[in-house]
Amino acid sequence: MNFRKREVARRVFAYELNRSTYRFPKEDEKSPTYVLTPLGMRVNRVYFVGALLDKDEIKPDSGIWRIRVSDPTSAVYGYVSRFQPDALESLMEIDVPELVAVVGKVRNFEVGARIFVSLRPEYVSPVESDVRDYWVYETARQTIDRIRAMEKKEDDDCKLAWQIYNPNLNEYRQMVKQALLSLKEGFVVEGEEGEEIEFEEEFEFEEEEWDLSDILKD
Amino acid sequence: MADQIVSQFGRLGYDVDRDEVIKRLKLLVLEFKVPEGEAVRTVRNWVIKEYEIPREKVISESPLVKIEEIKKPGEWVSLKAKVVQLWDSSSPSVSQVGLVGDETGIIKFVIWAKSGKGEVEEGKSYLFKNVVTDSFQGRMQINIGRTSEIVEIDEEVPSPREIEIVGALVSIQQNSGLIQRCGSCHRVMTKGICPIHGKVRGYDDLRVKGVLDDGDNFYEIILNEDNIRDLTGIDLNKAKRIASERLDRNAVLSELKKLLLGRYYKVVGVRGGRYLLVRKVDRIGGVEGSEVDRLLEVLA
Repeated sequence: MNFRKREVARRVFAYELNRSTYRFPKEDEKSPTYVLTPLGMRVNRVYFVGALLDKDEIKPDSGIWRIRVSDPTSAVYGYVSRFQPDALESLMEIDVPELVAVVGKVRNFEVGARIFVSLRPEYVSPVESDVRDYWVYETARQTIDRIRAMEKKEDDDCKLAWQIYNPNLNEYRQMVKQALLSLKEGFVVEGEEGEEIEFEEEFEFEEEEWDLSDILKD
Repeated sequence: MADQIVSQFGRLGYDVDRDEVIKRLKLLVLEFKVPEGEAVRTVRNWVIKEYEIPREKVISESPLVKIEEIKKPGEWVSLKAKVVQLWDSSSPSVSQVGLVGDETGIIKFVIWAKSGKGEVEEGKSYLFKNVVTDSFQGRMQINIGRTSEIVEIDEEVPSPREIEIVGALVSIQQNSGLIQRCGSCHRVMTKGICPIHGKVRGYDDLRVKGVLDDGDNFYEIILNEDNIRDLTGIDLNKAKRIASERLDRNAVLSELKKLLLGRYYKVVGVRGGRYLLVRKVDRIGGVEGSEVDRLLEVLA
Protein backbone atom coordinates (compact mmCIF):
# COMPACT_ATOMS: atom_id res chain seq x y z
CA MET A 1 0.00 0.00 0.00
CA ASN A 2 1.34 3.39 -0.96
CA PHE A 3 0.81 5.39 2.19
CA ARG A 4 1.50 9.08 2.16
CA LYS A 5 1.89 10.98 5.38
CA ARG A 6 -0.33 13.99 5.94
CA GLU A 7 1.37 17.30 5.18
CA VAL A 8 1.99 19.65 8.12
CA ALA A 9 0.31 23.06 7.82
CA ARG A 10 3.16 25.61 7.90
CA ARG A 11 2.98 29.11 9.36
CA VAL A 12 4.16 31.76 6.92
CA PHE A 13 3.40 35.47 6.68
CA ALA A 14 1.93 36.55 3.35
CA TYR A 15 5.04 38.63 2.67
CA GLU A 16 7.25 35.51 2.64
CA LEU A 17 4.60 33.33 0.99
CA ASN A 18 4.03 35.67 -1.96
CA ARG A 19 7.74 35.48 -2.76
CA SER A 20 7.85 31.67 -2.76
CA THR A 21 8.06 31.32 -6.51
CA TYR A 22 10.29 28.26 -6.70
CA ARG A 23 8.46 24.96 -7.08
CA PHE A 24 10.28 21.69 -6.45
CA PRO A 25 10.23 19.23 -9.36
CA LYS A 26 7.78 16.40 -8.71
CA GLU A 27 9.24 12.98 -7.98
CA ASP A 28 6.28 11.28 -9.66
CA GLU A 29 2.73 11.98 -10.82
CA LYS A 30 1.20 11.56 -7.39
CA SER A 31 3.79 13.23 -5.21
CA PRO A 32 2.70 16.44 -3.47
CA THR A 33 3.73 19.86 -4.74
CA TYR A 34 6.18 21.81 -2.61
CA VAL A 35 7.29 25.38 -2.99
CA LEU A 36 10.40 26.83 -1.37
CA THR A 37 10.05 30.03 0.64
CA PRO A 38 12.80 32.69 0.57
CA LEU A 39 13.69 31.60 4.13
CA GLY A 40 14.34 28.01 3.09
CA MET A 41 11.15 26.20 4.10
CA ARG A 42 9.48 23.56 1.98
CA VAL A 43 5.75 24.16 1.99
CA ASN A 44 2.78 22.20 0.71
CA ARG A 45 0.04 23.21 3.14
CA VAL A 46 -0.38 26.33 5.25
CA TYR A 47 -2.56 27.47 8.11
CA PHE A 48 -3.16 31.19 7.65
CA VAL A 49 -5.15 33.69 9.71
CA GLY A 50 -6.06 37.12 8.45
CA ALA A 51 -8.74 39.48 7.28
CA LEU A 52 -10.83 38.28 4.35
CA LEU A 53 -10.97 41.48 2.33
CA ASP A 54 -12.59 40.40 -0.93
CA LYS A 55 -14.49 37.50 -2.33
CA ASP A 56 -15.47 37.77 -5.96
CA GLU A 57 -16.70 35.28 -8.48
CA ILE A 58 -14.11 35.64 -11.23
CA LYS A 59 -16.78 35.43 -13.96
CA PRO A 60 -20.54 35.38 -13.45
CA ASP A 61 -21.74 31.79 -12.89
CA SER A 62 -18.24 30.35 -13.17
CA GLY A 63 -18.46 28.97 -9.62
CA ILE A 64 -14.84 29.99 -9.08
CA TRP A 65 -14.27 32.53 -6.34
CA ARG A 66 -11.20 34.62 -5.80
CA ILE A 67 -10.49 35.61 -2.23
CA ARG A 68 -7.95 38.04 -0.80
CA VAL A 69 -6.82 37.54 2.78
CA SER A 70 -4.44 39.87 4.55
CA ASP A 71 -2.19 39.47 7.57
CA PRO A 72 -0.22 42.42 9.04
CA THR A 73 2.47 42.04 6.32
CA SER A 74 0.59 41.60 3.00
CA ALA A 75 -2.38 40.02 1.31
CA VAL A 76 -2.46 36.63 -0.34
CA TYR A 77 -4.88 35.41 -2.99
CA GLY A 78 -6.84 32.20 -2.95
CA TYR A 79 -9.16 30.41 -5.33
CA VAL A 80 -12.14 28.36 -4.25
CA SER A 81 -14.30 26.25 -6.53
CA ARG A 82 -16.63 23.28 -6.39
CA PHE A 83 -13.54 21.07 -5.99
CA GLN A 84 -13.30 22.43 -2.42
CA PRO A 85 -16.90 21.92 -1.25
CA ASP A 86 -16.21 22.58 2.46
CA ALA A 87 -14.39 25.83 1.77
CA LEU A 88 -17.02 26.94 -0.74
CA GLU A 89 -19.88 26.22 1.64
CA SER A 90 -18.39 28.23 4.49
CA LEU A 91 -17.23 31.02 2.19
CA MET A 92 -20.79 31.58 0.96
CA GLU A 93 -21.89 32.34 4.53
CA ILE A 94 -19.18 34.93 5.19
CA ASP A 95 -19.60 38.66 4.56
CA VAL A 96 -16.43 40.65 3.94
CA PRO A 97 -14.49 41.96 5.73
CA GLU A 98 -14.18 39.19 8.30
CA LEU A 99 -11.36 37.61 10.27
CA VAL A 100 -10.82 34.07 8.96
CA ALA A 101 -8.60 31.03 9.39
CA VAL A 102 -7.67 29.30 6.15
CA VAL A 103 -6.10 25.88 5.78
CA GLY A 104 -5.01 25.28 2.24
CA LYS A 105 -2.47 24.10 -0.27
CA VAL A 106 0.01 26.48 -1.83
CA ARG A 107 -0.09 26.72 -5.59
CA ASN A 108 1.95 28.82 -7.89
CA PHE A 109 1.17 29.62 -11.47
CA GLU A 110 2.79 31.59 -14.24
CA VAL A 111 1.33 34.53 -16.07
CA GLY A 112 3.73 35.62 -18.76
CA ALA A 113 7.05 36.09 -17.07
CA ARG A 114 5.61 36.42 -13.56
CA ILE A 115 4.97 33.68 -11.07
CA PHE A 116 2.07 34.19 -8.71
CA VAL A 117 1.53 32.38 -5.45
CA SER A 118 -1.98 31.51 -4.36
CA LEU A 119 -3.83 29.37 -1.87
CA ARG A 120 -6.29 26.60 -2.59
CA PRO A 121 -8.28 26.53 0.66
CA GLU A 122 -9.55 23.32 2.17
CA TYR A 123 -11.68 25.38 4.48
CA VAL A 124 -12.29 29.00 5.39
CA SER A 125 -13.62 29.59 8.86
CA PRO A 126 -14.54 32.86 10.63
CA VAL A 127 -12.49 33.17 13.83
CA GLU A 128 -12.12 35.48 16.80
CA SER A 129 -9.36 38.10 17.13
CA ASP A 130 -7.50 36.11 19.80
CA VAL A 131 -6.87 33.42 17.17
CA ARG A 132 -5.32 36.04 14.88
CA ASP A 133 -3.18 37.36 17.74
CA TYR A 134 -1.82 33.93 18.56
CA TRP A 135 -1.23 33.17 14.88
CA VAL A 136 0.81 36.35 14.38
CA TYR A 137 2.85 35.54 17.49
CA GLU A 138 3.41 31.91 16.50
CA THR A 139 4.21 32.77 12.87
CA ALA A 140 6.67 35.43 14.06
CA ARG A 141 8.38 32.87 16.29
CA GLN A 142 8.67 30.28 13.53
CA THR A 143 9.84 32.89 11.02
CA ILE A 144 12.59 33.96 13.44
CA ASP A 145 13.66 30.31 13.65
CA ARG A 146 13.90 30.22 9.86
CA ILE A 147 15.94 33.43 9.76
CA ARG A 148 18.37 31.82 12.21
CA ALA A 149 18.62 28.68 10.09
CA MET A 150 19.33 30.87 7.06
CA GLU A 151 22.17 32.55 8.97
CA LYS A 152 23.72 29.15 9.67
CA LYS A 153 23.43 28.01 6.02
CA GLU A 154 23.63 24.33 7.05
CA ASP A 155 20.33 22.95 5.86
CA ASP A 156 20.07 21.91 2.18
CA ASP A 157 16.84 23.83 1.66
CA CYS A 158 18.45 26.93 3.20
CA LYS A 159 21.38 26.63 0.83
CA LEU A 160 18.95 26.33 -2.07
CA ALA A 161 17.03 29.40 -0.84
CA TRP A 162 20.26 31.43 -0.75
CA GLN A 163 21.03 30.30 -4.27
CA ILE A 164 17.58 31.04 -5.69
CA TYR A 165 16.41 34.08 -3.72
CA ASN A 166 19.54 35.50 -2.04
CA PRO A 167 17.21 37.15 0.52
CA ASN A 168 18.00 40.25 2.54
CA LEU A 169 17.45 38.86 6.05
CA ASN A 170 17.06 42.33 7.52
CA GLU A 171 14.05 42.89 5.31
CA TYR A 172 12.45 39.79 6.85
CA ARG A 173 13.42 40.79 10.40
CA GLN A 174 11.74 44.13 9.75
CA MET A 175 8.64 42.36 8.45
CA VAL A 176 8.39 40.18 11.57
CA LYS A 177 8.90 43.21 13.77
CA GLN A 178 6.11 45.08 12.05
CA ALA A 179 3.77 42.10 12.44
CA LEU A 180 4.56 41.86 16.15
CA LEU A 181 4.13 45.59 16.69
CA SER A 182 0.63 45.32 15.24
CA LEU A 183 -0.27 43.24 18.29
CA LYS A 184 0.73 46.00 20.69
CA GLU A 185 -2.03 48.14 22.05
CA GLY A 186 -2.43 51.58 20.52
CA PHE A 187 -0.28 50.64 17.57
CA VAL A 188 -0.52 53.06 14.65
CA VAL A 189 0.91 52.13 11.29
CA GLU A 190 1.45 55.69 10.15
CA GLY A 191 4.01 57.86 11.88
CA GLU A 192 5.95 54.88 13.23
CA GLU A 193 9.59 55.64 13.48
CA GLY A 194 12.19 53.43 11.89
CA GLU A 195 12.27 51.86 8.47
CA GLU A 196 9.01 50.76 6.96
CA ILE A 197 9.20 47.85 4.64
CA GLU A 198 8.25 48.54 1.09
CA PHE A 199 5.26 46.47 0.17
CA GLU A 200 5.14 45.17 -3.34
CA GLU A 201 2.83 46.90 -5.75
CA GLU A 202 -0.64 45.51 -6.08
CA PHE A 203 -0.97 43.28 -9.07
CA GLU A 204 -4.09 43.19 -11.12
CA PHE A 205 -4.96 40.57 -13.65
CA GLU A 206 -7.84 39.05 -15.48
CA GLU A 207 -8.35 35.38 -14.71
CA GLU A 208 -10.35 34.74 -17.85
CA GLU A 209 -7.14 34.91 -19.80
CA TRP A 210 -5.67 31.75 -18.40
CA ASP A 211 -6.50 28.29 -17.31
CA LEU A 212 -7.15 27.93 -13.59
CA SER A 213 -7.73 24.20 -13.60
CA ASP A 214 -4.16 23.54 -12.47
CA ILE A 215 -4.47 25.50 -9.24
CA LEU A 216 -7.94 24.26 -8.39
CA LYS A 217 -7.60 20.53 -8.82
CA ASP A 218 -5.19 18.03 -7.34
CA MET B 1 22.35 -21.21 12.55
CA ALA B 2 22.74 -24.66 14.06
CA ASP B 3 24.37 -23.35 17.24
CA GLN B 4 21.58 -20.83 17.63
CA ILE B 5 19.04 -23.65 17.64
CA VAL B 6 21.12 -25.89 19.90
CA SER B 7 21.71 -23.15 22.47
CA GLN B 8 18.09 -22.03 22.39
CA PHE B 9 16.89 -25.48 23.40
CA GLY B 10 19.91 -25.96 25.67
CA ARG B 11 18.67 -23.05 27.76
CA LEU B 12 15.34 -24.82 28.07
CA GLY B 13 17.12 -27.92 29.36
CA TYR B 14 17.16 -30.06 26.23
CA ASP B 15 20.35 -31.55 24.86
CA VAL B 16 19.74 -31.45 21.13
CA ASP B 17 21.85 -33.52 18.74
CA ARG B 18 23.96 -30.88 16.97
CA ASP B 19 25.02 -33.09 14.05
CA GLU B 20 21.44 -33.99 13.30
CA VAL B 21 20.46 -30.29 13.30
CA ILE B 22 23.32 -29.46 10.91
CA LYS B 23 22.38 -32.34 8.62
CA ARG B 24 18.77 -31.19 8.39
CA LEU B 25 19.68 -27.54 7.87
CA LYS B 26 22.14 -28.46 5.12
CA LEU B 27 19.54 -30.55 3.35
CA LEU B 28 17.00 -27.75 3.40
CA VAL B 29 19.31 -24.88 2.53
CA LEU B 30 21.81 -26.46 0.14
CA GLU B 31 19.74 -29.20 -1.44
CA PHE B 32 16.22 -27.80 -1.45
CA LYS B 33 17.23 -24.10 -1.64
CA VAL B 34 14.84 -23.14 1.13
CA PRO B 35 15.39 -19.63 2.57
CA GLU B 36 17.38 -19.64 5.83
CA GLY B 37 14.52 -18.39 7.99
CA GLU B 38 12.19 -21.10 6.74
CA ALA B 39 14.86 -23.75 7.26
CA VAL B 40 15.49 -22.67 10.85
CA ARG B 41 11.76 -22.65 11.54
CA THR B 42 11.34 -26.12 10.06
CA VAL B 43 14.23 -27.59 12.05
CA ARG B 44 12.98 -25.89 15.21
CA ASN B 45 9.56 -27.44 14.74
CA TRP B 46 11.21 -30.82 14.15
CA VAL B 47 13.17 -30.48 17.43
CA ILE B 48 9.99 -29.58 19.32
CA LYS B 49 8.25 -32.69 17.99
CA GLU B 50 11.25 -35.00 18.29
CA TYR B 51 12.02 -34.10 21.91
CA GLU B 52 8.34 -33.68 22.85
CA ILE B 53 8.91 -30.17 24.15
CA PRO B 54 5.69 -28.63 25.50
CA ARG B 55 4.56 -25.57 23.55
CA GLU B 56 4.43 -23.28 26.61
CA LYS B 57 8.15 -23.77 27.18
CA VAL B 58 8.99 -22.56 23.69
CA ILE B 59 6.63 -19.62 24.00
CA SER B 60 8.19 -18.40 27.21
CA GLU B 61 11.40 -18.07 25.25
CA SER B 62 10.52 -14.70 23.65
CA PRO B 63 12.42 -11.95 25.51
CA LEU B 64 10.77 -9.36 27.74
CA VAL B 65 11.18 -5.94 26.15
CA LYS B 66 10.22 -2.31 26.70
CA ILE B 67 8.11 -0.57 24.10
CA GLU B 68 10.88 1.79 22.95
CA GLU B 69 12.99 -1.26 22.05
CA ILE B 70 10.45 -2.44 19.50
CA LYS B 71 11.84 -1.20 16.23
CA LYS B 72 11.85 -4.11 13.80
CA PRO B 73 8.91 -6.08 12.41
CA GLY B 74 8.70 -9.85 12.61
CA GLU B 75 10.21 -10.34 16.07
CA TRP B 76 8.70 -12.40 18.87
CA VAL B 77 8.65 -10.51 22.14
CA SER B 78 6.88 -10.31 25.48
CA LEU B 79 6.03 -7.08 27.26
CA LYS B 80 4.37 -5.75 30.36
CA ALA B 81 2.08 -2.89 29.43
CA LYS B 82 -1.03 -1.01 30.38
CA VAL B 83 -3.98 -0.70 28.02
CA VAL B 84 -4.14 3.03 27.39
CA GLN B 85 -6.93 3.21 24.87
CA LEU B 86 -9.29 0.89 23.04
CA TRP B 87 -10.37 1.89 19.55
CA ASP B 88 -13.27 0.96 17.38
CA SER B 89 -12.34 -2.07 15.36
CA SER B 90 -13.35 -1.62 11.76
CA SER B 91 -12.82 -5.23 10.76
CA PRO B 92 -14.61 -8.38 11.94
CA SER B 93 -11.29 -10.27 11.89
CA VAL B 94 -9.96 -8.01 14.65
CA SER B 95 -11.34 -8.64 18.11
CA GLN B 96 -9.70 -5.65 19.81
CA VAL B 97 -7.42 -2.85 18.73
CA GLY B 98 -5.94 0.10 20.61
CA LEU B 99 -2.86 1.32 22.38
CA VAL B 100 -0.78 -0.11 25.19
CA GLY B 101 1.90 1.82 27.03
CA ASP B 102 4.75 1.46 29.48
CA GLU B 103 7.14 4.07 30.90
CA THR B 104 9.08 4.18 27.62
CA GLY B 105 6.26 4.75 25.16
CA ILE B 106 3.08 3.66 23.52
CA ILE B 107 2.40 1.14 20.77
CA LYS B 108 -0.63 -0.02 18.84
CA PHE B 109 -1.83 -3.55 19.51
CA VAL B 110 -4.12 -5.82 17.54
CA ILE B 111 -5.85 -8.87 19.01
CA TRP B 112 -6.94 -11.01 16.11
CA ALA B 113 -10.37 -12.60 16.42
CA LYS B 114 -8.87 -15.93 15.34
CA SER B 115 -6.54 -15.89 18.36
CA GLY B 116 -9.49 -16.56 20.66
CA LYS B 117 -7.86 -14.49 23.42
CA GLY B 118 -9.91 -12.83 26.12
CA GLU B 119 -10.75 -9.15 26.02
CA VAL B 120 -8.51 -6.57 27.68
CA GLU B 121 -9.80 -3.55 29.60
CA GLU B 122 -8.73 0.06 29.46
CA GLY B 123 -6.52 1.08 32.40
CA LYS B 124 -5.49 -2.47 33.35
CA SER B 125 -1.95 -3.85 33.13
CA TYR B 126 -1.10 -7.13 31.40
CA LEU B 127 1.79 -9.35 30.49
CA PHE B 128 1.59 -9.85 26.74
CA LYS B 129 3.51 -13.06 26.12
CA ASN B 130 4.90 -14.10 22.79
CA VAL B 131 3.45 -11.42 20.57
CA VAL B 132 4.87 -10.60 17.17
CA THR B 133 6.03 -7.14 16.13
CA ASP B 134 4.78 -5.76 12.86
CA SER B 135 4.87 -2.55 10.91
CA PHE B 136 1.75 -1.02 9.42
CA GLN B 137 1.79 2.19 7.39
CA GLY B 138 5.28 2.92 8.62
CA ARG B 139 4.53 2.54 12.33
CA MET B 140 5.26 -0.34 14.69
CA GLN B 141 2.55 -2.42 16.28
CA ILE B 142 2.22 -5.74 18.09
CA ASN B 143 -0.03 -8.57 16.97
CA ILE B 144 -1.62 -10.98 19.41
CA GLY B 145 -2.27 -14.30 17.75
CA ARG B 146 -3.05 -17.90 18.54
CA THR B 147 0.28 -18.67 20.22
CA SER B 148 0.27 -15.47 22.27
CA GLU B 149 -0.88 -15.17 25.85
CA ILE B 150 -2.43 -12.30 27.75
CA VAL B 151 -2.09 -12.45 31.53
CA GLU B 152 -3.52 -9.75 33.76
CA ILE B 153 -0.94 -8.63 36.33
CA ASP B 154 -1.36 -6.97 39.73
CA GLU B 155 1.50 -4.52 39.37
CA GLU B 156 0.59 -1.22 37.74
CA VAL B 157 2.75 -0.50 34.72
CA PRO B 158 3.77 3.20 34.83
CA SER B 159 2.32 5.54 32.24
CA PRO B 160 4.49 7.30 29.71
CA ARG B 161 5.36 10.93 30.30
CA GLU B 162 2.70 13.45 29.36
CA ILE B 163 3.40 16.22 26.91
CA GLU B 164 1.73 19.51 26.16
CA ILE B 165 1.01 20.58 22.61
CA VAL B 166 -0.29 23.93 21.44
CA GLY B 167 -1.63 23.73 17.93
CA ALA B 168 -4.40 24.69 15.57
CA LEU B 169 -7.24 22.29 14.82
CA VAL B 170 -6.79 22.09 11.05
CA SER B 171 -9.12 19.23 10.21
CA ILE B 172 -12.13 17.38 11.61
CA GLN B 173 -12.73 13.96 10.17
CA GLN B 174 -15.95 12.64 8.73
CA ASN B 175 -16.85 10.11 11.43
CA SER B 176 -17.17 12.86 14.03
CA GLY B 177 -20.13 14.62 15.61
CA LEU B 178 -23.25 12.79 16.71
CA ILE B 179 -22.35 9.15 16.15
CA GLN B 180 -23.94 5.82 17.01
CA ARG B 181 -22.19 3.04 18.86
CA CYS B 182 -23.08 -0.63 18.96
CA GLY B 183 -24.90 -1.56 22.17
CA SER B 184 -22.81 -4.68 22.74
CA CYS B 185 -19.28 -3.77 21.62
CA HIS B 186 -19.29 0.07 21.64
CA ARG B 187 -17.85 0.23 18.14
CA VAL B 188 -18.90 3.13 15.94
CA MET B 189 -21.68 2.10 13.56
CA THR B 190 -22.12 3.33 10.01
CA LYS B 191 -25.68 3.77 8.79
CA GLY B 192 -27.01 1.74 11.71
CA ILE B 193 -24.70 -1.21 11.07
CA CYS B 194 -22.04 -2.45 13.47
CA PRO B 195 -18.99 -3.97 11.73
CA ILE B 196 -19.20 -7.01 14.04
CA HIS B 197 -22.83 -7.41 15.05
CA GLY B 198 -24.58 -6.13 11.95
CA LYS B 199 -27.91 -4.37 12.25
CA VAL B 200 -28.36 -3.78 15.98
CA ARG B 201 -29.74 -1.15 18.29
CA GLY B 202 -27.12 1.47 18.94
CA TYR B 203 -26.78 4.35 21.32
CA ASP B 204 -25.79 7.96 20.63
CA ASP B 205 -22.41 9.42 21.46
CA LEU B 206 -20.58 12.64 20.75
CA ARG B 207 -16.97 12.75 19.61
CA VAL B 208 -14.54 14.63 17.40
CA LYS B 209 -11.67 13.01 15.55
CA GLY B 210 -9.40 15.78 14.41
CA VAL B 211 -5.93 16.92 13.50
CA LEU B 212 -3.98 19.31 15.73
CA ASP B 213 -1.09 20.96 13.91
CA ASP B 214 1.67 23.08 15.48
CA GLY B 215 3.48 23.95 12.26
CA ASP B 216 6.18 21.31 12.79
CA ASN B 217 4.12 18.19 13.46
CA PHE B 218 0.55 17.04 13.48
CA TYR B 219 -1.27 14.88 15.98
CA GLU B 220 -4.51 13.07 15.56
CA ILE B 221 -6.68 13.68 18.56
CA ILE B 222 -10.00 12.32 19.73
CA LEU B 223 -12.20 14.57 21.85
CA ASN B 224 -14.92 12.92 23.91
CA GLU B 225 -18.27 14.32 25.03
CA ASP B 226 -16.76 16.02 28.12
CA ASN B 227 -14.06 17.74 26.05
CA ILE B 228 -16.60 18.87 23.46
CA ARG B 229 -19.00 20.22 26.09
CA ASP B 230 -16.21 22.18 27.80
CA LEU B 231 -15.10 23.74 24.52
CA THR B 232 -18.42 24.40 22.79
CA GLY B 233 -21.22 24.11 25.31
CA ILE B 234 -22.75 21.34 23.20
CA ASP B 235 -23.39 18.15 25.13
CA LEU B 236 -25.07 14.97 23.97
CA ASN B 237 -28.59 16.24 24.70
CA LYS B 238 -28.05 19.49 22.90
CA ALA B 239 -26.51 17.61 19.97
CA LYS B 240 -29.61 15.41 19.74
CA ARG B 241 -31.79 18.50 19.82
CA ILE B 242 -29.82 20.08 16.97
CA ALA B 243 -30.15 16.87 14.96
CA SER B 244 -33.90 16.58 15.47
CA GLU B 245 -34.58 20.27 14.84
CA ARG B 246 -32.76 20.19 11.52
CA LEU B 247 -33.77 16.60 10.73
CA ASP B 248 -30.11 15.85 10.04
CA ARG B 249 -27.50 14.24 12.27
CA ASN B 250 -24.79 15.84 10.13
CA ALA B 251 -25.97 19.25 11.30
CA VAL B 252 -24.14 18.55 14.56
CA LEU B 253 -20.89 17.96 12.69
CA SER B 254 -21.30 21.21 10.72
CA GLU B 255 -21.97 23.09 13.94
CA LEU B 256 -18.93 21.60 15.67
CA LYS B 257 -16.74 22.38 12.65
CA LYS B 258 -17.92 25.97 12.77
CA LEU B 259 -17.10 26.28 16.47
CA LEU B 260 -13.83 24.35 16.63
CA LEU B 261 -11.96 24.48 13.31
CA GLY B 262 -9.15 26.96 12.86
CA ARG B 263 -8.75 27.73 16.57
CA TYR B 264 -5.77 27.08 18.83
CA TYR B 265 -5.88 24.56 21.62
CA LYS B 266 -3.55 23.42 24.35
CA VAL B 267 -3.75 19.68 24.73
CA VAL B 268 -2.17 17.65 27.51
CA GLY B 269 -1.76 13.98 26.86
CA VAL B 270 0.43 11.09 25.93
CA ARG B 271 2.04 10.77 22.55
CA GLY B 272 1.64 7.44 20.80
CA GLY B 273 2.97 7.45 17.28
CA ARG B 274 1.03 10.10 15.43
CA TYR B 275 -1.74 10.04 18.02
CA LEU B 276 -2.06 12.26 21.02
CA LEU B 277 -4.24 10.80 23.73
CA VAL B 278 -6.08 13.73 25.17
CA ARG B 279 -6.46 14.07 28.92
CA LYS B 280 -7.12 17.78 29.01
CA VAL B 281 -7.88 20.35 26.34
CA ASP B 282 -8.17 24.14 26.62
CA ARG B 283 -8.77 26.90 24.12
CA ILE B 284 -5.86 29.35 23.74
CA GLY B 285 -7.10 32.87 24.33
CA GLY B 286 -4.66 35.16 22.57
CA VAL B 287 -1.08 35.89 23.51
CA GLU B 288 0.59 37.61 26.46
CA GLY B 289 2.12 41.02 25.80
CA SER B 290 5.32 39.87 27.51
CA GLU B 291 5.71 37.04 24.98
CA VAL B 292 5.47 39.55 22.14
CA ASP B 293 8.06 41.77 23.86
CA ARG B 294 10.41 38.82 24.22
CA LEU B 295 10.31 38.18 20.46
CA LEU B 296 10.79 41.87 19.73
CA GLU B 297 13.93 41.80 21.90
CA VAL B 298 15.25 38.82 19.93
CA LEU B 299 14.84 40.86 16.76
CA ALA B 300 16.50 43.99 18.14
